[in-house]
Amino acid sequence: MNGPFLTRRLLYGVPLMLGVTFISFLLMVYFGPDKTYELLGKNPTAQQITEVRHALGYDRPFLLRYGDYVRQLVTLDLGLSDSTGEPVSAILVRTLPVSLALVVPGFIIGNLLGLALGLLAAWHRGQWLDKLVMSASVVGMSISFLVIIIGLQVLLCTPYGLNLFPVRGWQVHDPGSYLYYVTVPTLALVLVTLGYNTRFYRAIMADEIERDHIRALRAFGAGPAELLFKHVLKNSLIPVLTRFMFSVPFVLISGSLLLESYFGIPGVGLVTFNAITSGDQPILKAVIGLTGVLFVVALTVNDILYSIVDPRVAKS
Amino acid sequence: MNTPALSVKNLSVWFETESGRIPVVDRVGFSINAGDATGLVGESGCGKTMTAMAILGLLPSTGVSVRADAIEINGRDIYNLNARQRRAVLGRDIAMIFQQPATALDPVFTMGQQIGAVYKRHFGGSQQHVRQTMLDALRSVGFNHAEDIAAAYPHQLSGGMRQLAMIAMATVCKPAVIIADEPTTALDSSSRALILQKLQHLQTRHQTAILYISHDLAVVRQSCHDVMVMYCGRIMETTDCQSLFSHARHPYSAGLLSCIPRISATRPPPISSIPGQVPAPTDLPAGCHFAPRCTRAETRCRQAVPELDDQNGRGAACFRPL
Amino acid sequence: MMRDTWQRLRSDPYGMGGLIVVTIFAVVAVCVWTGLLGQGWSEVSGNRYEGVSATHLFGTNLLGQDILNRTLFGTATAFEVGLMVTVCSTLLGTLLGGLAGWYSHGWLDEIILWAKGVLDSIPFYLFAAAVAFALQGNPWAMHLAMIITFWTTTARIIRGEVIRIKEREFIEAARAIGLPGLKTVFRHVLPNTVHILLVQGTIVFVAAINTEVILSFLGLGIQDGVSWGLMLAESSQEVLAGHFGNFIAAGASLFLLLMGFNLLADALQDALDMRRLPG
Repeated sequence: MNGPFLTRRLLYGVPLMLGVTFISFLLMVYFGPDKTYELLGKNPTAQQITEVRHALGYDRPFLLRYGDYVRQLVTLDLGLSDSTGEPVSAILVRTLPVSLALVVPGFIIGNLLGLALGLLAAWHRGQWLDKLVMSASVVGMSISFLVIIIGLQVLLCTPYGLNLFPVRGWQVHDPGSYLYYVTVPTLALVLVTLGYNTRFYRAIMADEIERDHIRALRAFGAGPAELLFKHVLKNSLIPVLTRFMFSVPFVLISGSLLLESYFGIPGVGLVTFNAITSGDQPILKAVIGLTGVLFVVALTVNDILYSIVDPRVAKS
Repeated sequence: MNTPALSVKNLSVWFETESGRIPVVDRVGFSINAGDATGLVGESGCGKTMTAMAILGLLPSTGVSVRADAIEINGRDIYNLNARQRRAVLGRDIAMIFQQPATALDPVFTMGQQIGAVYKRHFGGSQQHVRQTMLDALRSVGFNHAEDIAAAYPHQLSGGMRQLAMIAMATVCKPAVIIADEPTTALDSSSRALILQKLQHLQTRHQTAILYISHDLAVVRQSCHDVMVMYCGRIMETTDCQSLFSHARHPYSAGLLSCIPRISATRPPPISSIPGQVPAPTDLPAGCHFAPRCTRAETRCRQAVPELDDQNGRGAACFRPL
Repeated sequence: MMRDTWQRLRSDPYGMGGLIVVTIFAVVAVCVWTGLLGQGWSEVSGNRYEGVSATHLFGTNLLGQDILNRTLFGTATAFEVGLMVTVCSTLLGTLLGGLAGWYSHGWLDEIILWAKGVLDSIPFYLFAAAVAFALQGNPWAMHLAMIITFWTTTARIIRGEVIRIKEREFIEAARAIGLPGLKTVFRHVLPNTVHILLVQGTIVFVAAINTEVILSFLGLGIQDGVSWGLMLAESSQEVLAGHFGNFIAAGASLFLLLMGFNLLADALQDALDMRRLPG
């Protein structure tokens, strides 16, 4: 891979990052709640108000305040949580591994299973197997995440169902207990993403299977396994990779937000949920800013991976 | 008499639709001897490519049905093979060269990987042996820097080079039969001459039987000994090239020939065309399919189907041949 | 073209099934709006957690409110959110996508693409939280957050279509005889994209209803009235005690409506012959 290409991709990410941080600044800090009156007692004097506002930095120029926010994000010096007084960065460092441990298995299984079903359906395009898989995925897409979570909880975690797993919580200290606590959230995550994933992968694979070089390969005696796992997969790696990279921040944040607040699992999602309910601004602005930046980084990495995967991109 | 390299007997193909069967290839039969080349000419959509795909057994299993008395390579039937047996034949005993090398080659593998994979699939062997065979195949089509071509991705090659590489891929297993489907249509005229020359060279050197599928009579005249003229899925005339150009017997063949512009010192004759249009496969006229466009057609041409009066590999399917 | 589409849609049993389901729910929503149904959703008309009976077909909730009435009223809420978000985000997306496509590769296009890129980069639920935070409890914060983020896909599709159609002859001709550019977009280009908007609209509708449920559970959703999301949020505590009324009523309604819309969206795409890659 060549240097200029890399530089260009990285530069392309800069305006996006500025935009993401700017929007979170605007919403969370500039238009965010004014803490002046919380800190002051009843009937403050004009003098007191000015002092507090100055101490909070509210009187500083707009762009300087934005600059402060960006500096906070870059240096990861994110201030103290309003509700616990703990440094925000410490909270994130503590909770992030929990969220990753919670979400990663479901994310991977959901994609692999979707890929497998999509391949299967595309290979049998128009036949009953394809129709079955596609119908099932429409059903899957029509069930709300929340319904899946509640339903699985009732079926697997309560005396009304199989009662095999804990209703909530996260007491993980060894592989056994990890499996005990992670199974139901993972199942929920797989089920909610499977329908969308299967449809997406089928559409990609069906297009690939129709291509001329697949017909040519058959004329040279290539069998289904070679066609599917070597040629179709490698050719569709770009859209697959894009989807994968795109969904990382979303599944990580949205998935953990809902799963952790529902099952009471102490990860970033629960911290964010609590911050939303209690209006803990330092945590919220840090989480939003950081995930936005993370997403832009993922996009850039994705673009760079393109050029490794596809010889045509690297050249142009 | 020796066994022909490729022999097709009574091959028919239909599309199965809700409104019934639509014939696209109708009782086609021919044979090609080792080292010979035969052309299959006709306008686009006449069933040429369908014939090729049916010979290879690559038509989809749903929506299309194929019937044949036999399709044989060197006397061995390949019509009644199961999927696995067929895969063992494709690329090894019979190979195909496609019209669009730009899309027929996988864009994300190098030429070396793709050609090597064909050989490895059929003969196996050490990595070094496969690579050597692959490079030999590239050299035999005229690449002096075979290593560079092997390391290149298809998009890095020109159209002509891609088609040469495709020929190398088709010949790496030294198959008995090669089907070349419009091998030069997508190329410029200088590459076209080179490709035809390389194919002829391989034909004599490896004693390969080649079936040229083309709408271009010039290609057929340059490369083939025998020729079949196809119209609406039927063979209209089968003869040797010489006779076709000097004395075409079927009115359709004559019409095709008159469409070729000639360069002459005297006043050029006007370029003629066959009146009317090729009928849609869903709406084929009864009797001889060519009758509605034929100036010589009479009543029986519109009622009965003229059969090919095959004598020693020549004949025309016409009641009133020229 | 519309008649052809309708013919093809009619011959698709799944699509017609979807259309019927959606229509039934829409009729319920209209009945709620006009005061014919679901008006007693907030009345305490029974004891807490009553079972199924003739007076309470789906039982009652914690406060003794009738779950059937709440489900019916929730239908209206779903349509209110869905329609508002779909209409506004489609208008916004069409406008911005049209502008970006017409001035493709100009500065306006760059800005719109940049805004789209930025909005696509922020995880939606966090964005909704941020909007709610900035608007400090405004009941329309959820709607606004969805409208601001959901226009991007519509805009991307419209931009591509406008660029494609703009190259065609009749637009060139309109330009050549001096019709002003922007007017031409709306007069000639956009009518050619109605079918795309129709399909994209059903997809946005589904997304809006789905999102309302999650946001309501997170406390960022509907604040006045009742919605299926709020009922499901309520039920998350109740199911552990064996009260499934809210869960089944809201979950099943939600599933049926989403399924109806998904089938309809698929059938529309088939009928309009415009299969494209999902998401």
